[in-house]
Amino acid sequence: MIEIALAGNPNTGKTSLFNILTNSYEYVGNWSGVTVEKKVGMLNNKKGHLIDLPGIYSLNPLSKDEGVATRFLIEENFSMVLNIVDASQLERNLYLTIQLLEYGKPVVIGLNMVDVAKGRGIMVNEKKLSEKLQSPVLPIVARTGSGCKELAGLLTNEKQENKPLYISYGQYLDQAMESLVAKMPEAENLPPKRWLALQFFEGNEVVHSLLKTLMPVEELQRIFAETEKLVQMEEGAKSLSYHIRAVRAEYIKGVLDVSLQKGDEVAYTLTDRIDNIVTNKFLGIPIFILFMYLIFKLTFDWIGSPISDLLDGFLTGPLSDGLTSMLQAAGASAFIKAVILDGIVAGVGGVLVFVPQIMILFFLISFIEDSGYMARIAMVMDKTLESIGLNGKAFIPMIIGFGCNVPGIMAARTIEQPKERLLTIILTPLMSCSARLSVYSLFVGAFFTQNQALVVLSLYLLGIVIALTLAKIFSSTILKEEGSMFVIELPPYRIPQWRTLMRNTWEKGKGFIKKAGTFIFGGSVIIWFLSYSGPAGMGVDMNKSFLALIGGAIAPLFEPIGFGSWQAGAALITGFLAKEVVVSTMNIIYVAPDLHTLQGVMAHHFTSLSAYSFMAFLLLYVPCLATVAVIKKETGSAKWTWFSIIYALLIAYIVSLIIYQGGKLLGF
Amino acid sequence: MVLTDIKAGGKAKIINTEHVNVLVRRRLLDLGIMEGTEISIKRILPFGGPFAVEADGQWVGIRRSEAKLIQVCHS
Ligand SMILES: Nc1nc2c(ncn2[C@@H]2O[C@H](COP(=O)(O)OP(=O)(O)OP(=O)(O)O)[C@@H](O)[C@H]2O)c(=O)[nH]1
Ligand SMILES: [Mg+2]
Repeated sequence: MIEIALAGNPNTGKTSLFNILTNSYEYVGNWSGVTVEKKVGMLNNKKGHLIDLPGIYSLNPLSKDEGVATRFLIEENFSMVLNIVDASQLERNLYLTIQLLEYGKPVVIGLNMVDVAKGRGIMVNEKKLSEKLQSPVLPIVARTGSGCKELAGLLTNEKQENKPLYISYGQYLDQAMESLVAKMPEAENLPPKRWLALQFFEGNEVVHSLLKTLMPVEELQRIFAETEKLVQMEEGAKSLSYHIRAVRAEYIKGVLDVSLQKGDEVAYTLTDRIDNIVTNKFLGIPIFILFMYLIFKLTFDWIGSPISDLLDGFLTGPLSDGLTSMLQAAGASAFIKAVILDGIVAGVGGVLVFVPQIMILFFLISFIEDSGYMARIAMVMDKTLESIGLNGKAFIPMIIGFGCNVPGIMAARTIEQPKERLLTIILTPLMSCSARLSVYSLFVGAFFTQNQALVVLSLYLLGIVIALTLAKIFSSTILKEEGSMFVIELPPYRIPQWRTLMRNTWEKGKGFIKKAGTFIFGGSVIIWFLSYSGPAGMGVDMNKSFLALIGGAIAPLFEPIGFGSWQAGAALITGFLAKEVVVSTMNIIYVAPDLHTLQGVMAHHFTSLSAYSFMAFLLLYVPCLATVAVIKKETGSAKWTWFSIIYALLIAYIVSLIIYQGGKLLGF
Repeated sequence: MVLTDIKAGGKAKIINTEHVNVLVRRRLLDLGIMEGTEISIKRILPFGGPFAVEADGQWVGIRRSEAKLIQVCHS
């Protein structure tokens, strides 16, 4: 089995190719930093594994996702590199290619985006390029799959070793490398020594720490300082890394001189024109809010709700009738019938009803992700975010968080500054995810039929505003700035492809459905059982059940914020598992046969005001279990994990208190 | 002259990036923006917001405070 690492600059189409070659459905989007962890896939011919890595510009990482890729390339075992380069940005892409070639593993180069290059009048002669780089080069279009089959044919393990590319970095540095190589001890599984020496002199952090385990630190420091001084004096370079870069630039120029032809410059007219609007002086932020409003209009009024209603009709009509008669025919006991109909069908079905709406939301988020708008909105938001101690890039995890907080938090890996990254991680859970959408759907259908989209939009904005306010507070107290930075690549706009959109939507939606089949299924059974049993035994009146006892114990706490019933208390406790479980719990405890009856019953337990207060509380209070787990993993700190739970509870209570008491004062 | 002296739509050649924050400079280098690069200003966001610049077909957004530290000359 061969192991092939897929490496290249960010946003060059690595994952698109990975999906084609391994028949996978990994996450593709039109901005830099979509892939943040390594993904392993089996090649279609079953002859090897392909490992998709986050994009990198060089082997010296700056952010955490880049660290994942470089550490893989330096520390792990693999037999070959598949290097994807963007034909329209060849010069910049070749800096990485050269470092990979110097490394000495066999490299196959996939020359991607030849369609984009052609559109800009750039012609690459792949034969000449291949000759110059001494490695196979194949033009492909990963978006359509053209050329990918041929490329797959090159991925064999015929050649295990490759002679490393040798570039002379000038007499002085070459000599320094030689003497450093001579001093390095022998060790297992070490990358080629000259390569290590070169990366060391370039300032590669990963190589630095690797060498530190092999040689005394003082000696390394001394060698570095001496060499830098020598090169500065003799070559007139500003620093070692500048010198190395200049030599590579020269080499690349030599390669491109024979292999690249630039035609007349063609401006990105489409991109230019769209950018004129979406990053407009005054309209930038309003346009973003308008987009969000349209998204909710589509999700609720125009498409989502009607389909959800149909699904509800099916689940509560033919499906439960069918189940009832089947159970009858099978002679099931009253207990079994109650578990299935009142527990599972009510609990799981109650959540499944919202799948159409959630799918539409996911579809629209995927559209934004694949269009190129993501990087623009980050730029439009940068000024605002800078003033509160973050940078524009922090908005990308937040938008992804609208789908699900877990990948949102993962996406924070691309933020270079550790403090800004931490802040983004602990605030992303305030972004209203699709699971919460199912609860809003239930409530707005009952209490705000006229203004569904507007009410939901207000909740999303509430989440954003609270997150921004807290960012300001945290960054000026516990997380003082270390100097913020912001540089973002703005990719050309692309019309998203149906295939990518459908795949991305399905990938995200699948998780939701899976959760319904596992977590929510199990949760529903337990909740039903707790509502069916009590201190007095089985089949008790629900008000005397264990569930009522547990919910009732914390209910008084919620009295001041508008919903002091045991039902609300119980629902909120179960919501910690996953927020949509709140919907299941409500379906079970209000024993309603379908969505509309449930909404009718709820009208007896909530007013519009307390319903809004409940939704705000649900939006803000503790992140769900999966989110807590990923916060723990990404911060690596129990302290920050607890912090994100506790501050969320406090802030939720305060906000709901203001909404409810303030609303009462205003006469709602 | 610095980058912020150029109007939207204008072009310039970078002569010095020494004063720019190290991390930002590293990123710009990654994106092929350094001394000697010709860049054009594509958009300037309002209220002291970022600059969108283009170099060799690559668009990049940077902060105005950083753009102020990049010395340029007419190309
Ligand atoms: N026009 C064109 N677009 C492409 C091509 N290959 C990929 N794309 C698009 O480029 C964007 C980036 O694709 P990804 O596959 O996510 O790129 P990546 O290299 O995995 O990106 P990161 O994970 O962020 O490093 C997507 O919008 C793709 O649809 C191509 O050959 N031609
Ligand atoms: Mg990717």
